[in-house]
Amino acid sequence: MWTFLVQGVFQGAVYGLLAVGLVLVYKGTRVFNFAQGEFGSVAAFVTWGLLLHTAVPYLVAFVGGLLAAVAMGLLVERAVVRPLFAASRLILLVATVGVALLAIALTVLAAQPQARVLPPAVAGEPITVAGASVLPQQILVLVALAAVAAGLAGFFRTDLGLAVLAVSQDPVATRVVGINPVMLSRVIWGLAAGLGGLAGLLQAPVGIFTPGFMTATTLLPAFAAAVLGGMTSLPGAFAGGVAIGVAQNLGIYLLGQQLAVPGAAELTVFGLLLAVLLVRPQGLLGKAA
Amino acid sequence: MTGLLEVRALSLRFGGLQVLDAVDLDLPEGMVVGLIGPNGAGKTSLFNCLTGSYRPQQGTVRFRGRDISGLPTHRRAALGIARTWQNLGVVGGLTVADNVLLARHQHAGYHALAGLLGLPGTGRRERELRRDTEEVLDYLDLRQYAAEPVDGLPYGIQKRCDLAMALATDPELLLLDEPSSGMGPEEAHQLGATLAELTGQLRLTVLMIEHHVPLVVAICDYVYVLNVGQLLAQGEPAKIQQHPDVVAAYLGEPDGAA
Amino acid sequence: MAATAAPRSPATIAPAPPTLAVPLPLAGLLARAVVAGLVAAAVLVPPLLAGSVWQQRIALAAIYAVIGLSVNVLTGHAGQISLGHQAFVGIGAFTSAYLSFRLAAGFPVAVLVAAATGAALAGVLGLAALRIRGLYLALVTLAFGLTAETTLFNWRAFTGGGAGAEAPRPALVGTDLRYSYLCLAVLGLVLLLDWRLVRTKAGRAFVVLRGDERVAATLGVNVTGYKLLAFVLSGLLAGLAGALFAHWSQVVQALDFDFQIALVWVVMAVVGGLRSRAGVVLASAFFALLPTVLPELLTASPVQPPFLNEAVYHVLPPFVAVVLLLLTLILVPGGVGQLLLPVRRWLAGGRLRTGRSAPQAGDGG
Repeated sequence: MWTFLVQGVFQGAVYGLLAVGLVLVYKGTRVFNFAQGEFGSVAAFVTWGLLLHTAVPYLVAFVGGLLAAVAMGLLVERAVVRPLFAASRLILLVATVGVALLAIALTVLAAQPQARVLPPAVAGEPITVAGASVLPQQILVLVALAAVAAGLAGFFRTDLGLAVLAVSQDPVATRVVGINPVMLSRVIWGLAAGLGGLAGLLQAPVGIFTPGFMTATTLLPAFAAAVLGGMTSLPGAFAGGVAIGVAQNLGIYLLGQQLAVPGAAELTVFGLLLAVLLVRPQGLLGKAA
Repeated sequence: MTGLLEVRALSLRFGGLQVLDAVDLDLPEGMVVGLIGPNGAGKTSLFNCLTGSYRPQQGTVRFRGRDISGLPTHRRAALGIARTWQNLGVVGGLTVADNVLLARHQHAGYHALAGLLGLPGTGRRERELRRDTEEVLDYLDLRQYAAEPVDGLPYGIQKRCDLAMALATDPELLLLDEPSSGMGPEEAHQLGATLAELTGQLRLTVLMIEHHVPLVVAICDYVYVLNVGQLLAQGEPAKIQQHPDVVAAYLGEPDGAA
Repeated sequence: MAATAAPRSPATIAPAPPTLAVPLPLAGLLARAVVAGLVAAAVLVPPLLAGSVWQQRIALAAIYAVIGLSVNVLTGHAGQISLGHQAFVGIGAFTSAYLSFRLAAGFPVAVLVAAATGAALAGVLGLAALRIRGLYLALVTLAFGLTAETTLFNWRAFTGGGAGAEAPRPALVGTDLRYSYLCLAVLGLVLLLDWRLVRTKAGRAFVVLRGDERVAATLGVNVTGYKLLAFVLSGLLAGLAGALFAHWSQVVQALDFDFQIALVWVVMAVVGGLRSRAGVVLASAFFALLPTVLPELLTASPVQPPFLNEAVYHVLPPFVAVVLLLLTLILVPGGVGQLLLPVRRWLAGGRLRTGRSAPQAGDGG
């Protein structure tokens, strides 16, 4: 039970990373990005491919995966989001659904529809921390998150970072800040894709992974996390992710293991999402409208 | 004269913002009543409270003596309350005739499912609805635009289509939200004639938000002045023009065009 | 209701000329009748000539068309999105299979109950849609579909778990030929229903609801009721299609209803062109046939692309689907329906090459 909860925190960190990307893109460009999970899948497959076919060290393959995700984000921004920017938001949503399906199809074409294994960056036996069993890889996850947080904090002090932050809090701010909106849109999508890629690279070594695994298993919890954070706050989205991860593992433990309900994980997320939207649509951390 | 609509102590808040504060208002049947006030006075919010789009925190709205404060919007429409919209309630891609046909919704005379299944009588009712539509179009001189998509027409025609939709619901009380906005003096004058005809022939009761003072003076029997959510003054138009508080509230913006 | 209209209605001024009155010359009428006849023949004759394989494919195309029209009711007419349609189609399929195989219910009973179950499930989701709007609703429907997929469809007693549930066909429609005609007949009925919907009260209520809920309400439209109606109607058609699908494949599994297929169904409605019956039917048929026909064409082609093999064939259809989707959204936002518009106008009596929308009164000649 305790281990379940601790594992939930780590799982939630992955949701949180995706959720931060979702909120960035939503606040910055008004798009519900259903392709956010695929940034992670693509990153995982590129890293896996580099490790399999080349002799590069793990770190290089890891960075390669991240760069692939960022490139994909920029491509989506240029080829899909900008041409459709005047379209309704529902159409844009359908378009990003299309992007996700396309990415899954391309991964299958390139890597075959088989389950793959990505070795963790740090191998090793589980160690016991505070009464819960934790893998060394998961310690690395914490380090990576600290690095991301520090990186983002630094970035948000630069002019560009301030503009991104401003626009993510108030879309009208772009005009005031006076930064080229096209540039800003690119930065937002690149950043979100990078975060998605990182989420994928942290998630893939947890078990086996198949094309589209991030969309199938993490996208929805990430959206629930973003909603929990009110779709506005970046820290709120991350905290929401952790909360969803813990709640989901609690659901798996109580519903799945104790009561043998099939699909306990999905059921928990669905219930939480519905509850938040019905009871407190502005999110737990958001302000009332 | 009986009161058609009776508003008592209506208060509306959004968060910490007091939009309407204890507003009382009476509409005797058959009267044309103006509702004026500077921008942000809460005029459109008051309309929204009357139609049920907004739920005020306090106060009652009575229609023909019946308390309708708890009724949802469509039930109020069924009682005969219709409105026009400041930024138009038309469906852009549709023709003028189709827009008016939409507005005959509650007079379809058959259940939605009956129409779906094509039960006997629905075909006849549909033909009758189209005739009703043509009547309304003729009444407002819209026949020549009947087959034109609304969004391609001049603004004044679109406004008339919006009015036609409100009329097509067969209202007893018509709420007009700035009927003359975006119109030139000529069009506004013509609108005045149309409205006078409406109340004369159809015996409608009208409450209109209007900034165009000559129009208010010309056709309103009575005027309410709203300022920051409170009733500032009321009376006959000629007297209201001289009212010191009203003059003060409007100072610097003679026709509210802030 | 109607009676109150009479006394207050504005007075009639003059008998009006009918709005649509451009009489066609006989030759024009004949040409249009021939085209309509050819379309009918193109639908009804192929099952007779085709072998079993193509009869099955035609039946599947018709089933997909019903699914496409189901999505169209919700998204096209009522402006509500569903990314979880596999829940409604799946519940229809499993219900019909369960009733006809486990409970030995008659085929019509099984199919009708399946449709009703789809409607009920969609109605439940519709309750959530009363409070949750737009993009958030899209999320909820996606979550709903995924949850149905992993919980309901993995409920062993109901769906038979991994082995799937058997769904036998009754003797009357036992052959592939007869089954294909059954599916086409159902599609015909659904098309009729959609046509009635658009031309009557409910369809018009959806039009104004889709535009602005507040305006709809002040025109007397019961927003809550019509939103629920859209979900229930869409779920009804989806459940119906699911039942037809179950007895088409004769064994149904949870895997038949994964979330990707729901996304493809939305895509096919959009590519077909929301609110265009012909467009949605054509695009749905295309997406139904793609997974079987495309690999066939590829295997038959003399040059084999190196990276293709059996295993990846099944992802080619989504690939094609998405390319078509993005092309549609960017180049032809009205979808296939937009491309078909001139033909439709011509069939309705207009000229093939008029730039304007509908023929106007008094502008014939």
